[in-house]
Amino acid sequence: MPSHEIFVLAIDTERCIGGGQCELMEPEMFEVDADTGIATVIGDGKMAQLRAEGLMDRCPGQAIIRVDADDGADD
Amino acid sequence: MTERSVATVDLADPNLYQRGIPHDVFTELRRRPGLTWNAIAGDPTDGFWAVTRHDDLVTVSRDPDTFSSAVGHIQIYDIDEDALAARASMIDLDPPVHTRLRRLVSSAFTPRHVQGYRDAITERVHARLDALIEAGGGDWVDLVAAPIPIGVICDLMGVPEADHGYMIELSDHLVAGTSSQPLDPEAYGNTTDLRLLPFNSPAAHGINAYAIDLGERRRRTPEDDLITRLVEAEIEGDRLTDAEFANFFRLMIFAGNETTRSSIAHLALHLTHFGAAFGRVREDRAMLDSLVEEVIRYSSPILYFRRTATVDTELAGTPIAAGDKVVMWYASANFDEAQFPDPLTFDPARPTLPPHVAFGGGGAHFCLGASLARLELQILIDAIMTRNITIDVVGDPTFVDSNFVNGIEHLEVRLP
Repeated sequence: MPSHEIFVLAIDTERCIGGGQCELMEPEMFEVDADTGIATVIGDGKMAQLRAEGLMDRCPGQAIIRVDADDGADD
Repeated sequence: MTERSVATVDLADPNLYQRGIPHDVFTELRRRPGLTWNAIAGDPTDGFWAVTRHDDLVTVSRDPDTFSSAVGHIQIYDIDEDALAARASMIDLDPPVHTRLRRLVSSAFTPRHVQGYRDAITERVHARLDALIEAGGGDWVDLVAAPIPIGVICDLMGVPEADHGYMIELSDHLVAGTSSQPLDPEAYGNTTDLRLLPFNSPAAHGINAYAIDLGERRRRTPEDDLITRLVEAEIEGDRLTDAEFANFFRLMIFAGNETTRSSIAHLALHLTHFGAAFGRVREDRAMLDSLVEEVIRYSSPILYFRRTATVDTELAGTPIAAGDKVVMWYASANFDEAQFPDPLTFDPARPTLPPHVAFGGGGAHFCLGASLARLELQILIDAIMTRNITIDVVGDPTFVDSNFVNGIEHLEVRLP
């Protein structure tokens, strides 16, 4: 199984608690909207696997999701 | 069924925490396989599963579908359904309801946004250190630990400076509701059945009444503060009810005040007992961030939060029945030797991964004010180092009489 894939990330807007950890760790890629309190992805959401996994784990709301995973990469 | 591992010490007894975290008790519990059952004194049918290891706590914290905040109470003792409903704020709710409420204020607390409060916090910190020096020492809690966080959270909320002292008083009396001392039910003009008030405390009535009055004023004359944001907020077209608004306000005042205050109070103990560690950081401020994390881990201001199992499940090999109380002991998990080698060693260079759980074990209830608390501590410690202030604790601290907060009521310091 490859371990250096590129993940495509998105925000699950139901789960996002607006904690801003993503914005802190990856300011180029995430921003918490001041009005909605929800994080948004800036750009294409692409990130290397290792970095993406660290980021997903640090998200308190578990709201950073992978949206390219249905391409047979799992199992 | 295998026999339950049963606690020999009652973790719900506030007296257990009168000299700080009982590390020997938790160390013994962490060594036992599975979870330990803690019976509640005087009621053989009531009790809870004590979650004391870091990895088990994180599992519970991140699984609100199985371990709910909305079913049952988030404190050890159960209360009636009407009492639960009367006090419900986002901390007592599960996603997605919790999340909608939280997002009303979340953008004010992001790591990036709180940097905007740096100057105001710095000013407050120096003013309190000036007061401490002018007094030549004294009660560290009254002079430093209490006024800084209450000032910061009141500024954000929009509570006028003149009322900060009143907020400290009310917040103190709230915590007293977790103690073994009964309170005068009619304090603060309370007429509500205590059973319906958070911590069964008449001070909750005082805070709610204050909130509704201030909210009313902001409705007429909006300001750039969180109270205005809350009274004007709409969730799917609905404004918050008076009760929802007041409960939100009370949660913010309590959580913004009591917890950081507790860390700052403990900081005086750390400065006294671990002087060499602080000396290292004084010479190398790049270590300030990890030092702050160590102060927070070592303080563990909140001892526990409870969840309630919604289904039959299993954790660490222990079967848990639907309806069972599951209590996450942060004060134990933060000293879990499996995650933090030599856990009782205060180490400013300790890796910040895995993170301590003083802000919770992750999941939707992760402390809203985490970045603000970190910033307050960072500015305070930096100021103490830059001004070269030596703080020496005299005598023993008086701990808050509670099984829920690891607070310090009084702590005398001198400046040699």
